[in-house]
Amino acid sequence: MEFQYVGKNFERTDGYAKVTGAAQYVADLKLPRMLHVRILRPEYAHARIQSIDTSEAERSEGVVKIVTGKDYPILFAAAGFYDQSPLAVDKVRHSGEAVAAVIADTLEHATKALSKIKVTYEPLPVLLDPVEAARNKEVLIHERLGEYRHFGSYFPEPGTNIFHHYRLRKGDIEAGFKEAEVSVEGEFEFSLSAHSALEPHGAICRWEGKDRVEIWASTQAPFAVQQTVADMFGLPHAHVRVRVLYLGGGFGGKSDVTIEPMVACVARAVPGCAVRYICSRKEVMTSTVLGRGMKARAKLGARKDGTFTAFQAELYFSDGAYGDAAANIVTVAGHNCVGPYAIEHCHVDSYGVYTNTPPVGAYRGYGHPEGCFLSERLVDMMARKLSLSPLDLRRKNFLSEGKKNSLGETIRDHNGDLFKCLQNVEKELFTRPKPKEDERYLYGRGVASMMKSPKGAPNASSCCQIKFCSDGSVHVNLGGIEMGQGAQQAMRQIAAEALRLPLDRVSVFREVDTQHSPWEWQTVASMFTYRGGNAILKTAEKAIRVLKENAATVLRVLADDLDYDGESVFLKTDPDRKVAVKDLARGYMYENGLTVGEVAESTAGDRIPGYVEPDPKFGMGTAGGTWTFGCQGCELRVDRKTGEVIIDQFISSFDVGRVISPQMIRGQIVGGVVMGIGQTLKEKIEFSEEGKITNATWGRYKMPRIHDTPKKQTVIFVETPEKRGPFGARCVAEHPMVAVAPTILNALYDATGHDFFRLPVLPKDLLEALS
Amino acid sequence: MTEWITLTVNGVRRSVPCAAKESLLEILRDALDLTGTKEGCGHGACGSCTVVVNGEAVKACTVRGKEKLEGIEVLTVEGLADPEGNLHPIQEAFLRAGAVQCGFCTPGFIMRLYALFRNQPEATEDEIRAALSENLCRCTGYEAIGEAALLAQKLLMGTRVT
Repeated sequence: MEFQYVGKNFERTDGYAKVTGAAQYVADLKLPRMLHVRILRPEYAHARIQSIDTSEAERSEGVVKIVTGKDYPILFAAAGFYDQSPLAVDKVRHSGEAVAAVIADTLEHATKALSKIKVTYEPLPVLLDPVEAARNKEVLIHERLGEYRHFGSYFPEPGTNIFHHYRLRKGDIEAGFKEAEVSVEGEFEFSLSAHSALEPHGAICRWEGKDRVEIWASTQAPFAVQQTVADMFGLPHAHVRVRVLYLGGGFGGKSDVTIEPMVACVARAVPGCAVRYICSRKEVMTSTVLGRGMKARAKLGARKDGTFTAFQAELYFSDGAYGDAAANIVTVAGHNCVGPYAIEHCHVDSYGVYTNTPPVGAYRGYGHPEGCFLSERLVDMMARKLSLSPLDLRRKNFLSEGKKNSLGETIRDHNGDLFKCLQNVEKELFTRPKPKEDERYLYGRGVASMMKSPKGAPNASSCCQIKFCSDGSVHVNLGGIEMGQGAQQAMRQIAAEALRLPLDRVSVFREVDTQHSPWEWQTVASMFTYRGGNAILKTAEKAIRVLKENAATVLRVLADDLDYDGESVFLKTDPDRKVAVKDLARGYMYENGLTVGEVAESTAGDRIPGYVEPDPKFGMGTAGGTWTFGCQGCELRVDRKTGEVIIDQFISSFDVGRVISPQMIRGQIVGGVVMGIGQTLKEKIEFSEEGKITNATWGRYKMPRIHDTPKKQTVIFVETPEKRGPFGARCVAEHPMVAVAPTILNALYDATGHDFFRLPVLPKDLLEALS
Repeated sequence: MTEWITLTVNGVRRSVPCAAKESLLEILRDALDLTGTKEGCGHGACGSCTVVVNGEAVKACTVRGKEKLEGIEVLTVEGLADPEGNLHPIQEAFLRAGAVQCGFCTPGFIMRLYALFRNQPEATEDEIRAALSENLCRCTGYEAIGEAALLAQKLLMGTRVT
């Protein structure tokens, strides 16, 4: 198939606005009657609130109102686990929680009043370690866990700090290890880290009386915010309007409902006023969501020929004070930690554990980087034990046509080709000799493989609306959020292709507004190009059908005998008999004004068919649905003196089905790899014993800068068309981050002979290992 | 205490009220509605608020108080394109190289490079990377930003020649 727009580079639809400063993000918005909010945070990470006295603060200059949790004793959930209140009610469970909100005419006045609020606390013991917290039945972070309403796919253990226990029971684990002739095992640790999108979280909220509300929010999931806020107040969902302007990065950190319920409660105290709350950077780190945070033990068994027979793991997630945003990650990490391999016997226990840290939410990869870390380190260790090449060992066990994954789903050829991905990495990495160690550096090479499937609600959909204008140009409207990934431009290219129109005749949506945008579940899980693209194809077909029906009436022929080329609808057998699209867009009007036919507008949606929650007993079922496979490799140097790691080359190869925009997809991969390098070699949220984050600034929390990037990144795509994907395209966005840590750690073993199991690996860890 | 200060922003003289500890970033965004300059961290770590002050790249959130603000000449991202809206070569280079993703860090990087090439049109690649290391980006992995910088330098030298 010849493409006009798919597979080529074009300037981003939002590019001009972004390079000129015209692009407006939520913090840039000013509204009439706008008030400002500052939040009081607790002195303790775990304490009972005995009293809050706001009387003096209320008299402070410029203060309009002060709101506390007592005003809104509501439990809300966005993912079906109702364990969180918008502001702390009787207890604080982490040091970034909202205790009271001051609404004032200026930020300065709100800040001044904060210190005048008097709160007395009864401090409680602080739990930070997930394994310890899981065993501790004396200190309960949620005493009423057993009373919380939740979806049937979550399994809390009341009387403990375990809010969700996912079990995978595939085959017979004892038989699997009996069959194994060798086994390897390890204990793993993945630190908590901060997404650190450049734009801080923010929301502006304005109530119209008590029954309708508008929220401008920095969110990847406006429809989830709409539903959550509406349910909190018992309002019809349709009465809550959520709008997203430009979004300055998300990485999952803006997909969970975080500050919006709190801002909605606060603003309700001053109906008619726009209440603005923008997080400081510190608050983004202490008071929205963090990512990762895992301790785990895992074991892999194999026969001497390298066939994997058994995989067992126990994962403990330090998911912080609330579990709603983390519960599904626990599940996904559980069934994906087996890796992209066919293993007959799998036994996994994955625990979501309450701790006194900020809650954990979605973070690029959603449980997969945590899981992949276990399997890919173990596979390399197994290769050493069996004296096999780590690449050949992977090939021997890879998922491929007819094989079953950990969930019991059968993988088909069109799902992607791991062998080609690995071959691409191998060719790039091993065709030249490895540099010999010298006085200053040790050199190492490593590879890792990965798979990722989306985790979404089973009914998660993307919807599209297409409107033809009276000049034949087209509006394409979807509800997916552009957060930098290039969603709008990808949609524009797909739409132009589907509608056979020049790119400049296709206008795609900019803002998303729950009142006007078609429904989109959430822009997460790398699903938008796939699902949104499919929605466009279906919608375009419907819109073209309307044009054909209209033309059929005019030409007095059957619609099926007509064809469409973007400019006109014409008779297949006699292309000169035609009607221009612009004359068909709003029905066809004859000279006397008589109009026939329908308006050329259409809508349609797409979802992954047959997707279900895992079976409660075995943890299996069609919960993957679609996969993207890939391999990564790197060559690095370790500075013997400083412990610094320099990555000379990083190679990524993913089977993406079809490249829609080469420049944007490379941007996703290269950026994801650098983010992965950050979580592997630099980033870690640090806590004091009392549970305070001690590095909640970008001065202290170290992220990659330009000099931390690989000297060279090589990106090679495999394009095995996905049967259901738009033009064969598959999901890709989170994927480049999934296998970076084991890739680097496998290379670090090659360089130093030392197995690392804890992330991040810092220069001091390397120096210690080398000494 | 609030005092009035006068500064020149994008070629226009402006008088604005300035509270004692107010930063240039707050003045640009709140008093002058120049919201193209972004606040990412508020303490000079990310460079999203980089503007050009008297010809040098400056993190606007770190410049506070009347003494430092009175009489300065500021160029922000809004002042870069020509009056007809035609992009400056650095802006053009960012689009061509694919250096824009979420866009939040983009104005800061562009202004950082503007100051660099104004003062050192022939900056070496190492000097360019040193300048770029002042700013954070979380989307691109910096590859395309580095390429945009080199392309911008070429375009600027080209305009100088022709």
